[in-house]
Amino acid sequence: MGLFSKLFKGPEIDMEKSRANAKKMRLLFNQVVDNGDDYRLIFGYTEDVSRFNYGFVHGSKTKIGNLIVGWNEESQTIVVVPTVPDLSGCGDPTYYRRSEILKAYQNKYPTDAFIIYPDKKSYIGINAYDWLEDESLYVYVSQEEELAAFTEFFLNRFATK
Amino acid sequence: MSPGALGAFLLVLVVVFVLGNLWFHLVESLLRGIKRLLLRDQEPQAWHPLPPEPEEKTDVDQK
Repeated sequence: MGLFSKLFKGPEIDMEKSRANAKKMRLLFNQVVDNGDDYRLIFGYTEDVSRFNYGFVHGSKTKIGNLIVGWNEESQTIVVVPTVPDLSGCGDPTYYRRSEILKAYQNKYPTDAFIIYPDKKSYIGINAYDWLEDESLYVYVSQEEELAAFTEFFLNRFATK
Repeated sequence: MSPGALGAFLLVLVVVFVLGNLWFHLVESLLRGIKRLLLRDQEPQAWHPLPPEPEEKTDVDQK
């Protein structure tokens, strides 16, 4: 294959690395969630954008939080576990049961994030894509099929409007 | 614009950029310090490191 055809083809996914990370995601998830194997998994992330004004310097900062998102179709539950891009560890899980949440919907603008309001005071916006190349910010995993299944579940069985 | 004036203008831009960065990081570190002081009584969030992968069993006959 010539150099130009490689250049025009765009970035290629390292499937071996993706599979290894999917395995790590499963290990972490099952470690903190009871009956973790009952959930299907995708990688997602949250974005927290804040503006700052330090006198003559002003702008905005974006904080990205990596998440392992599990969902169970039967119990209509989404479980969110915070993690880091290298998957060296994870935090405690948060459960969003459809019967207990206030509302859930997919955003349209500025991103098509999955929004869940567990109550009136708080919300979580989960962004998810087939694959994100930047390993320093996001978990390197290819998840086209899983994301399609999650979207179908969220829109048809979890969303409240 | 003469090359000298252009160079001086670029130098001013570089100085503004460097000072802006220094100022940003100084304010950020001060804010971080204040936050740490205010939140030191809070319990740190639980963190679970990645467990070692279970070893795969292989059936190898040894003679």
